[in-house]
Amino acid sequence: MRPLPSREAAATFAIVLALTVGGGSRAHSALGPRYGGELRIALAESATTLAPSVPRGLTERILAALVHEVLVDVDDEGRPRPALVQSWASAAEGREWTLRLAPATFHDGTAVGSADAVRGLRRFLRADSVAAAHLARVLEGGDDFRRRGSEALPGITAIDDARIVLRFRLPAAVPLAPLASPAAAIVSPRGAGAGPFVPTTPPSARGISVTAFGRHVRGRPFLDVVRLVSAAPDRASRSEVAVPDVGPAATPSPPANGLLLLLLDPAAPPLADARTRALIAASVDRAQLARHFLPGGEPAESLLAPTLLAPLPVPSPRAAPGPATLAGRLVLRVASDVPQSASQRVVAHLTALGLEVQAVAASAGPASSQPRLLVWYPEVAEAGLALEELAALAGSAAPIRSALEAADGLRDFDRRRAELQRVEESLRAGHVLVPLARVPLPLGARPGVHALRATASGSLVVEDAWVEP
Amino acid sequence: MSLRAEAARRGHGLRGRLLAAFVLVAVPPLLLFAVFVMALLSDRLERAAGQRLRQGLDGVRARVGALQHQAETAVAAIVRADLARPASSEEDARQMAATLGERHGLPLLEIVDGSGRVLSSRQWPAGVGLPEGDREVAGVSHLRWETVASDYGGAERMAVVATRPASWGGVPVVVRGGFPLDAEMLGELSDLMGSEVALRDTARGRWVARPDSPLAQAPGFDPSKGEGTTDVSGTAYRWAAAPLGASLWEVVAVPHTLLADVTGDVGKLTLGVAALALFAALATALVLSGRIAGPVRALAARARGVGAGDLEHTAVEAADEVGELARAFASMTYELKTSRERLVQAERVAAWREMARRLAHELKNPIFPIQLSIETLRRALDQDGAQDAGRFQSLFRESSDTILDELRSLRAIVEEFSQFARMPPPRLAPTDLGELVERVLALYRARAATVKIETSLAPGLPTVPADRDLLARALGNLVANALEAMPDGGTLAVKTRAAEEGVALEVSDTGPGLTEEQRTRLFTPYYTTKKGGTGLGLAIVQGIVSDHGGRIQVQSTPGAGTTFTLVLPISIMAEATT
Repeated sequence: MRPLPSREAAATFAIVLALTVGGGSRAHSALGPRYGGELRIALAESATTLAPSVPRGLTERILAALVHEVLVDVDDEGRPRPALVQSWASAAEGREWTLRLAPATFHDGTAVGSADAVRGLRRFLRADSVAAAHLARVLEGGDDFRRRGSEALPGITAIDDARIVLRFRLPAAVPLAPLASPAAAIVSPRGAGAGPFVPTTPPSARGISVTAFGRHVRGRPFLDVVRLVSAAPDRASRSEVAVPDVGPAATPSPPANGLLLLLLDPAAPPLADARTRALIAASVDRAQLARHFLPGGEPAESLLAPTLLAPLPVPSPRAAPGPATLAGRLVLRVASDVPQSASQRVVAHLTALGLEVQAVAASAGPASSQPRLLVWYPEVAEAGLALEELAALAGSAAPIRSALEAADGLRDFDRRRAELQRVEESLRAGHVLVPLARVPLPLGARPGVHALRATASGSLVVEDAWVEP
Repeated sequence: MSLRAEAARRGHGLRGRLLAAFVLVAVPPLLLFAVFVMALLSDRLERAAGQRLRQGLDGVRARVGALQHQAETAVAAIVRADLARPASSEEDARQMAATLGERHGLPLLEIVDGSGRVLSSRQWPAGVGLPEGDREVAGVSHLRWETVASDYGGAERMAVVATRPASWGGVPVVVRGGFPLDAEMLGELSDLMGSEVALRDTARGRWVARPDSPLAQAPGFDPSKGEGTTDVSGTAYRWAAAPLGASLWEVVAVPHTLLADVTGDVGKLTLGVAALALFAALATALVLSGRIAGPVRALAARARGVGAGDLEHTAVEAADEVGELARAFASMTYELKTSRERLVQAERVAAWREMARRLAHELKNPIFPIQLSIETLRRALDQDGAQDAGRFQSLFRESSDTILDELRSLRAIVEEFSQFARMPPPRLAPTDLGELVERVLALYRARAATVKIETSLAPGLPTVPADRDLLARALGNLVANALEAMPDGGTLAVKTRAAEEGVALEVSDTGPGLTEEQRTRLFTPYYTTKKGGTGLGLAIVQGIVSDHGGRIQVQSTPGAGTTFTLVLPISIMAEATT
């Protein structure tokens, strides 16, 4: 959490100290955060919308974090933390949660009230989102509302201008986690966000500019301006792309929160046989892949990051009974955020097995089940929701969905964790979802940019970042 | 009408013949020339295309050979100098192929261990540590399908490679380096040679060609034929192929459009010129035929006029031979006119003389008896009057009888002359000849005691415009003459039939017939072969027939009989001048 407005006093003191002591650029960083400055972030894709939705790529994830604010956020370990909601309390054995809104303002100057929260949640419940589907399933009247069978939603009510009550059908372990989805961001009736930065230009192919919002719920960000510019040579001006503060890096910085995921669609003829999928899953040398073809990457044997869910020990891959070589043709759709070297390595592995592979580019973001290679980030960095999202990606059968629902009802975190670990293991066992490596965001910051960090959901937290003059 | 039609047909025929002649002279040679030119062009272009194809094939082979030599030189240098020391690290080993390839100018370079595992690769670093999956072209050691990095995966590229065993830090390896024979290189070759160059792997059914190469779209292409033509999207290509390996072919193609364009242009030009020649021929034919046929037609019209009796001189303007003919015709017409006038004069004179002779003869006969009778009476009066009154009275009565008879005869002669001179104009009305014949014959059947009368009247004959009385008189004269020609019996045949000019009426007898002289003078007034005849009967018949716009002709054989034929028109014709 960003420091409260008293950080201005600390910054002032730091400046005075620097002037007193004197010094060069090292002194600047040693002084700590400073207000002001501009950050230019070069990205491969441009954003096309500012409306709250599940982000379909790195640019949309970063922009959502810049411009919007959710009711409840989660930390890197999936634990809820306040955002527009400053506190919450449960009742009725965890089936009723009262959320108190923090005094916050939208970008258009209007105050954030319970009516805005209710309107936002109602919109969110009908969004194309795994978290929204989960919330609709557990809220009273949520399923019917989501299916548009009814406009009544008894599960959400505003009891006054600052409080809303959520009523659940059953007690849940982390009932508020879905509210951290970027699709659940709260906007004013005119569509203005409540995030730390205000858009000053509409999104376009060239990019978008945002300025610091002084009345953000967590205080004014340090940076004055953030510009997201397109790194495509045919779009952005040379001057903007030439010197970005943050841009594509040969060696991206940690943490490696993204999952390089190979999705083997059983509907594709060579992959219908589970032994074939097992052979593919076992044939990829993840260590070599991460070390030589994924700068900043780490081999991954489990689907979720250890920070989200500690994995069960994964047995050493054994040569699966069945064919040692394969035959057939495969069209592998590769998401644009997958490094080409990694994709080529995966294709080389598949080709070495005897498959004829054609790798084609596919749009980033979740899509229908097809043989795909993608970098996956959870919509909400919470283990249960993340597994639910992965299960939907794999088109998993009912037993896994049932196990997830059962785990969601466990309020004992240890038991819940064990259950989720078994679900994760089951997901891996089908070899439809083949984790290959953890990858960091494909971005690197120049020296002089500080406090820029990536989230487990694949976004950048810019509100705490600052730049040296 | 038929003469006019025939004359018109002759005019058009001359024009048509002239046109046909000009067309035959102008167009066929032009077409033959065009065919010859197209054949010559086609042959030359085919030869040129064949030469280009051969040069293209040679060029590809030369290029492949040059690349192979270059690869062998570079690989040999690498083996000799650069692999003595092992790599300092795993990363160094993985990068070795890229480094050495960059240094020696080899876009493709791989180092493979003894088990076929790739130790380092410049073009496919993703394959390092994995079995080599490249494929050789059957029967050719220096051509291979190499995997190269391409976007998110790998792509196979045909390559010219050189392979050498080596030792890398003491480890036996194989170094393979070379150059891609990819679409880009083939595209450069294509542009250089001005023809489409491609490679065809028949074993894998793949083309190596630039993206827009028409060869890659050719349906059912079989390079083993060596050469041929193929059609791609409406464009014909001539191609030649040569093997680079058991299943790899180099193919060179050139568009056939040039030949098609040139022959098409020549064809169009020929058609255009032929059309112009045809038009010029038509125009010339029209002009010339007009200049030739015009005077000829005018001359024909003048001839028709002459035939109709118009002998007035009308000049026909024309040049050259036609003009000469026109002048000769005019001269002839003039001579004809003067001759006719002289003839008419002579005939008039002859007719007057004949009439005078006949008149003199006719008058002389009755006049002499009258004179004799009067002289007898005077003599009798002088001699016997005083002595014998009775004898004088008897003689007076006899002589007066004679005088009265001769006077009646004279009166009859005068009456006939008067009738001939006062022949009235016919009053024409539609007349059925068959009915007329029956009516006239009915009058003469009583007189034809020993003569057999036969009639042959054609049914359905059209009526003729005729004066019934005059025509009956003419027919009656002919019938009377025929009966008089057969005093001892015979056959009188009267026949009606259709004729070209109208209707024909024939009166035939089986009498003694006429001599040639008699026949020619038959219609001369006052000519007669009968005793006591005035000689006007047939002249009257001729006059009546002439007044009806018809004509009369006679056929006779001495001893066999005579046939008179009257031809009457079924419409009024122009009067003939007499």
